[in-house]
Amino acid sequence: MKEKMSKKDMTDKNEIKPDRWRELRLSLQVFFSNKAAVAGLVIFLFYFFDALILQFFPQILPFKHPYSLTPNYADPIPLPPSWKHPFGTTYPGVDLLRAVIKSIRLDFWLSLEIVIPGAIIGLIIGIIATYFGGWIDEVLMRITDIVFSIPYLVLAIAIGYVLGRTLNSMMIALILVWWPLYARYARSVTLETKELTFIEAARASGTSNFKIMFKHILPNSLPPVFVQISLDLGTIMLTISALAFIGFLPAANLPELGYLTSLGYNYIQTAPWAMIIPGLFIVLFALAVNLMGDGFRDVIDPRRRSEL
Amino acid sequence: MIIAARQLSKFFDVKGVKNAKIRAVENVNIEIKEGEIVGLVGESGSGKSTLGRLLIRLIEPTSGEILYNIPDDELDEFDIALKNNDQNAVKKIVDKYSIMRLHGKELKTFRRNVGIVFQDPYSSLDPRLKIEDIIAEPIVETGFLKGPKVKARVLELLDEVQLPREFSYRFPHELSGGQRQRVALARGIATNPKLVILDEPTSALDVSIQAEILELLKELRKKYNMAMLLITHNISVVSYMADRVFVMYAGKIMEKGNKNDIIKNPEHPYTQALISAVPQIKRVRQRIILKGDPPNLINPPKGCRFHPRCPVALPICGWTADEVKPTLEYLISSKYFTEFSNTKVEVKDELELTVYNAKADKLREIINIEKENLRPLMSIKDIIDENGNVTLKLYKYETPELIKLENGREVECLLFSKFKE
Repeated sequence: MKEKMSKKDMTDKNEIKPDRWRELRLSLQVFFSNKAAVAGLVIFLFYFFDALILQFFPQILPFKHPYSLTPNYADPIPLPPSWKHPFGTTYPGVDLLRAVIKSIRLDFWLSLEIVIPGAIIGLIIGIIATYFGGWIDEVLMRITDIVFSIPYLVLAIAIGYVLGRTLNSMMIALILVWWPLYARYARSVTLETKELTFIEAARASGTSNFKIMFKHILPNSLPPVFVQISLDLGTIMLTISALAFIGFLPAANLPELGYLTSLGYNYIQTAPWAMIIPGLFIVLFALAVNLMGDGFRDVIDPRRRSEL
Repeated sequence: MIIAARQLSKFFDVKGVKNAKIRAVENVNIEIKEGEIVGLVGESGSGKSTLGRLLIRLIEPTSGEILYNIPDDELDEFDIALKNNDQNAVKKIVDKYSIMRLHGKELKTFRRNVGIVFQDPYSSLDPRLKIEDIIAEPIVETGFLKGPKVKARVLELLDEVQLPREFSYRFPHELSGGQRQRVALARGIATNPKLVILDEPTSALDVSIQAEILELLKELRKKYNMAMLLITHNISVVSYMADRVFVMYAGKIMEKGNKNDIIKNPEHPYTQALISAVPQIKRVRQRIILKGDPPNLINPPKGCRFHPRCPVALPICGWTADEVKPTLEYLISSKYFTEFSNTKVEVKDELELTVYNAKADKLREIINIEKENLRPLMSIKDIIDENGNVTLKLYKYETPELIKLENGREVECLLFSKFKE
C-alpha cells in the first residue's frame, strides 16, 4: 500500500508537470531552429502589431484619421520617395507610408476572419465525408463541387447586393467560397489516414466514430492543412485586394492594400512605386505566413520534434 | 467455447463493378475454447485476417452467426437446431449468445472482453498520441476503468510487456519495431480480455524479436488464461504456440485439428502441401509443389475450392467445362497437334463440351494417357461421337463439407466423405 502511494506521488510530482514545460520548450526549440520560419514570424509580428495598435490604440500613432486615407488634392500627382514621404505618394496625394500602415489593419483581420472559419468548416465536412464514405461522401463532395464552381467575385457582388455593401458581406461571401478548398484538401489527406490500422485499432477499442474523427483523424490531417492555411492567408489578402481593386469596397478612402495598389494603377509608367510598394506589402505578408507555416508544421510533427 | 462462428460469410463489394463480390470468407464454422491458442494458417489472401476481424465484429459479416461465451452443450443444441432448421431453437440461442445484434453499452462490454493485435506495429499506433494514451484507449473507451486508475493500469501493462515505465510519455516513432509491438500487445490485453486476436503479430519483426514476442504471449496466456487466435502464415510459429490449428484456403476452412496431428499427420491434401513446405532439420521431406496460383475469390472454383491445384483431385471435386477446355486445347493444339486439324473446343454448358472435327477414339486414347498428369481430364465421364464432332460429358461435382474424424479432427475433403461412406 505504502509503495503504491509513493509511486503515485512520483507520477504526480515528478512526471506530469515538468513534462508540460518540457513539451513547450521543445516546441519553441523546434520552431526557432528553423531560421526562415523565425524570419516569417518576425514579419508576421510586424503586421500583427500594426493591426493591433491601429485597432485598439490608434491614438499612439500621429494619424488624424486612422481609419481612412487622407488625400491631398493640392498635389495629387504621385511623388517619388523623399525624406518627407519615405515611400513616396500615390494619387491623390496620399502618403504611402502612412497609407500602408493604416491598410494592414483591415487586410490582416479580414484574412484571418475568412481563412480560419473557412478552414474549420472545410475540415469538418471533408473529414465527415471521407470517414463515412458512401452516399454521405458523394452528397457532401458534390455540394462542395457546386460551391467550388461559384466565382467568388460574382458571389461577393451578389451577397453585397443582398446584405448591403459592407465588409461583413464581403467576408461572408469569401468564407462561402473558401471552405470547399479545405473540404477537398481535408478529404485527400483523410483518405490516406483512414486506411491506417490505428483507426481500426481504435474501433476495436470501442471508440465512437465522433472520437475517431476528431482524436485520431483530425490531428493526423492537420499539418498539411496548417500549411495550406498559412499559404492561404497570403492568397486571401490578394483576393481581398483584387475585390478592392475592382472597386468592391464599402467606402472610398478605406485604407486597404489592394485599393491602394489600384490607386497607383494609372501611373505605373511614370510612378511605378505607387503600385510596387503596396503590392510589395501584400507579397511580403504572403511570404511571411508561408515561412511561418513551415515552422509550425515542424512543431506539430512528432518526428521532427524528436530529432532535437 | 469462448467464441463460435456458424456459417460465417463475408463478401466484399468490388468497387466499380456491379454484382461482383469477393468471397473472402464463406460458410466458415469455427470454435475457440477458453484459454486455448488456436493457430489459423493459410497463404496470403485466404481470408485469415478477415475471419479474425469478423470474430470481434470489426467488420460486419454478410451472413452467419457469432456466438460469444456459449457453453458446449448449447452449441451442440444450436448445431442440431441448424441442421433440423428449427427456427425457434436457433432464435433462442442466438438471442442469448449472439454478438451480431449488440449495440451501445452491450457492444462496449463485448469489446472489453476481446482484444486485437495487428500485424504492422508501424501503422497500428497513432503517431500523434503518447504511448500512455494509446494503451489507455481501450481501457477508457470500454469503460473498464476510470480516472486515476487508468494511469496505474497503463504502468502495470508496461511492466507486463516488459517495457520501462518512462515509455508512457514517448511517442510511437521513438520506439523500435519490437517495442512498438509490445505496446500494441499491451493495448490488446489492456482490458483483460478473454479472447485476443493476434493478426500476424510477428511477421513484421525480425527473427530474434519474434521469439521474444512469442515468449511474452505464452507467458501472458499462462498468467491470465486468455484464449488466443493466432493468425499467421508461419507454420513454425504455430507449431511453437498453438494448441489447435485451423487451416484456411481461399476463404474456407480446410482442416481443423490438434496441432500435433495436423503437423505430423496432415490429412487434407492442401495441409499436406503446406506442411511439406516447412524446412526440417536432419530430414529430407518430399515437398509437394502445388501448380498454379490461389484462385480468384470473385469467381471461386466450384465444388472444393482447392481442386484446381489439388494433386489428388477426384473427378467429382468440382471440375467444370471452363476448366477442362484449356487442358484440351493444350493437348489438341500443342502436344498432339499432328493428330488434329481444324479442331475446335467449345463449352456447351457447365458440364458439357463439344470438340469439333475430331475423332472420339483418338481423343479417348489421348485422354487415357494424359489423365494421370492432367487432373482436369479425370472429370470426363463420357466421350460421345456425333458425326465428326465429339461431345464430352463431365461428372457432376459435389461440394465437400467438414467431416468429423476421430480426435477432434475435421477435414473438408471429398476423399474423406467417400471414405466414411
